[in-house]
Amino acid sequence: MNKTLKAILFAILALGLVFAAGCGNNEDENTAEPDPSEVGSGQDEQQTDEEVVELDGEIVVYSARNERFVQALLDKFTADTGIEVQALHDANPLQVVEEANNVRADVFISNDLGALGYLHMEGLLQGYDFDGIDSIPADFRADDNAYFAISARSRGFIYNKDMITEDEMPKSIEELFDPKWADVEGGYAITRGGNGGMIGHISALRYEWGDEKTAEWIEVVSENAAAITQGHGDIRRAVGAGEHSFGLVNNYYFHQQLVEPDNNNVGFIYLDQEADQMGVVANAAGAGLVKDGPNQENAIAFIEWLLLPENQVMFVGESLELLINSDYGASYPAEVEPHIVDFNDLKVQDMPIKELGNYFQDTRALIEQSGLDLELR
Amino acid sequence: MKNDSKNKSQLNNNQNAKVGEKNSPTILHFFRKKWFDSWQGNPPGSGLLLLGMIVAAIMSIPIIYVVWRSLFAGVDRWKRLLDGRIPELLWNTFSLTFAVTACAVIIGVTLAWIVVRTDLPGRKYWQWLLALPLVIPPYVGAVTYIIVFGPSGWVRNIWRDTPWLVDTFGNYPLNIYSFWGVFFVLTMFTYPYVYLIASASLRKMNRNFEEVARSQGMTTSQIFWKVNLPFLRPAIGAGAILISLYVLSDFGAIAMLRYVTFTAAIYFQRAGFDTASASVLSLVLIILTVGILWIEARTRKKNKYYQTSNTFREPDILKLGKWKPWAILYVVGVFFVSVVLPISVLVYWSNIGIRMGALDERFFSFAWNSLKVSGLAAILCMLLALPIIYLKTRYPSTITTIIDKLCYAGYALPGVIVALGFVFIFNNHIPALYSTFYMVALAFVVRFLPQAMQAGEASLSLVSPRIDEAARSLGYPPWKIMFKVILPTILPGVLAGGALVFVSSIKELPATLMLRPPGFDTLAVRVYFEASEAIYHLAAPAALLLVIVSIIPLRYLLKKY
Repeated sequence: MNKTLKAILFAILALGLVFAAGCGNNEDENTAEPDPSEVGSGQDEQQTDEEVVELDGEIVVYSARNERFVQALLDKFTADTGIEVQALHDANPLQVVEEANNVRADVFISNDLGALGYLHMEGLLQGYDFDGIDSIPADFRADDNAYFAISARSRGFIYNKDMITEDEMPKSIEELFDPKWADVEGGYAITRGGNGGMIGHISALRYEWGDEKTAEWIEVVSENAAAITQGHGDIRRAVGAGEHSFGLVNNYYFHQQLVEPDNNNVGFIYLDQEADQMGVVANAAGAGLVKDGPNQENAIAFIEWLLLPENQVMFVGESLELLINSDYGASYPAEVEPHIVDFNDLKVQDMPIKELGNYFQDTRALIEQSGLDLELR
Repeated sequence: MKNDSKNKSQLNNNQNAKVGEKNSPTILHFFRKKWFDSWQGNPPGSGLLLLGMIVAAIMSIPIIYVVWRSLFAGVDRWKRLLDGRIPELLWNTFSLTFAVTACAVIIGVTLAWIVVRTDLPGRKYWQWLLALPLVIPPYVGAVTYIIVFGPSGWVRNIWRDTPWLVDTFGNYPLNIYSFWGVFFVLTMFTYPYVYLIASASLRKMNRNFEEVARSQGMTTSQIFWKVNLPFLRPAIGAGAILISLYVLSDFGAIAMLRYVTFTAAIYFQRAGFDTASASVLSLVLIILTVGILWIEARTRKKNKYYQTSNTFREPDILKLGKWKPWAILYVVGVFFVSVVLPISVLVYWSNIGIRMGALDERFFSFAWNSLKVSGLAAILCMLLALPIIYLKTRYPSTITTIIDKLCYAGYALPGVIVALGFVFIFNNHIPALYSTFYMVALAFVVRFLPQAMQAGEASLSLVSPRIDEAARSLGYPPWKIMFKVILPTILPGVLAGGALVFVSSIKELPATLMLRPPGFDTLAVRVYFEASEAIYHLAAPAALLLVIVSIIPLRYLLKKY
């Protein structure tokens, strides 16, 4: 009995040690990193050389963008530079706020420039004179370059051409006040109010209409919508499959649905394009440098790498968004190419995209009051 | 408890001081006597007691912290939530919990009765086949149902392509994203709790009572209602509690089917970083849970059923007769819907996924992450459970009861609340461990330690205290007894508990989602993300692996009931 016991105890201990050792390694990387990175990544490299030869430190990226668009970009960064990327997908900008005293992230990637603007306003992002930042138009970056946009998108309706014609479709966001759109075949779909794209859109409406009318709009829309989903991907798939006649999405979701092998008979309405209308609501996706991040040297390297033209193209990647620097030649699949509408050809709402950050907090409060943040259908 | 620990320190001082000082104050004697009385003259060593108290503190601090935070959420927020959100959430949560519990109890009891008491063909096999839905995590089940019955699912395609269906019934009528969808999925994957407990007590039921009833001229159905059912009441109660607690705590299946209960609302509030509102909702949910537990404790005290064991005779097997085809149809139907259908969907998509190269390096790194964090949780649980169960079985007293109850706090409450507490505590007070996988493993310990405790306790209760005393009398100190005498004898139970914790941890979704550090996704998290993006060929292999791993402790579970 004694011997078997000893053997078992030894096994448990050994297992525990293996775990501790395995985890301990990771732990060292996580916590020991900040100190050397202040000195510079060169020394950093020498210090960690003994453990893992290829390791050139790491970088923590929080991303609010869909994982499928971002992961390939991050993998390419690791392949190009040898810096390991620890990614937290589906992150919320407010996590950076919560961790203000215990900063974990180095870079925040967002599909809502309003979120980045808000973080900057709270003093959580840090300006830096990046190499190559001049390639981004001044409208699309913060004054101190703490955050910037790479790709742009506009909001509109994706619709199923088998169920509804272009003529029958609503052409203005205001038309959704009319309850008749609940009665089209399958109704229409919107995302939950917690969705980044929806927050940006509602900020734009508040800028245009004021809070009262916007609140009313939210109420009517959440009352009449046939489906309220967590993300836009659900909407494009559902509209493509004929579950709903149309849905409120960003234009690149329309592009994505066109590439699907089936259920791709869809069209898109750029909203409010008439002379007396507000113009299409635009938003942009980009990245920001988090203040006092644990691996700041690497973070700056990442952002400068990201600003290289080929990587700006890569940032768009599978998302099929519009590159702000359209001359960098983002290539689109043959199915999508004819449907690309250049940003300059659209009537865009006159709210500066950078303004979005100032609206972020109050917009969220408005959405919470309406209850749309928790609604799912 | 505070008082007691003070007593303890005084006692220790007293002991130390004894050497030099003969006449210690009377008050110390008084406390010392009280202290001994409360342990019935047999207090545990201070090291052991301290260890137990530390474990209990770790188990309960996160929840206390959440409650504490909710009290400082501000009157405005409380008012706003009480006016608008809470009534709606209460209705959503209550109606779902009630409907699922009621229906699962009916299915579980009828299945148990048919399998145990009738001449159903192949009843030996059905006995464990019908418990199989336990191995399918409900969020995985929900995915498979969305694939089959969803608005773009297989059934809809068949429906659309069958003209007479469309002509007579109109368009595809099923909407899985509704109350009924959630209700159906949760019922199908939770009924085994009642089924297992009910079949165990049916098997133990004494035949004499039924024969008396029959001799009084009762029919089979009358006997079922008047004799069998009352005897089953404790079993039904226990199963119903398990199910309603599960429905209260489930996040994955409910979120995937676009329904919002308290747990989902807390998760979304937290995801939107409105932590104050999240803690307010948590407090309400805690009260709900405690309420259910209280009802259970009350009914259990009120109703006592005695069976005489000295004249026990095996219950006889009833002939189904003309009901046979219906019974077979029912059993096969439930089995098909809750096991065959989900598993075949998973196998179908896994097959596609594997051929498309889903089992790549990423997949194995996720699997390794799952293994690492669940394994660590299992080892920690096995180690931490030992002092607690030893205290509880060998030194029964008020203090040990409190310690024991505190350890159940995280187990009874939903994972989102535990995770919420962890985020508060680690981010603000233990930044070194914040956003590391240790935090996730610790959360699993808080969630699942009682599983290890129950398993170990069952083994330890079979070891007589005389064995300890014999070892003591031969000169072993208590810690040596623990390792040399007790541990070897109860090791199988402890290991079984560890296996249970491992499997529960690997399936756990909401706490993992909320606490995972950057770059540390587990299989459960991947299933959730891939499925919500409708990338089923990547979700299915991971889900299938989770199901296969869950089969490991099934044998133990079946034996237990």
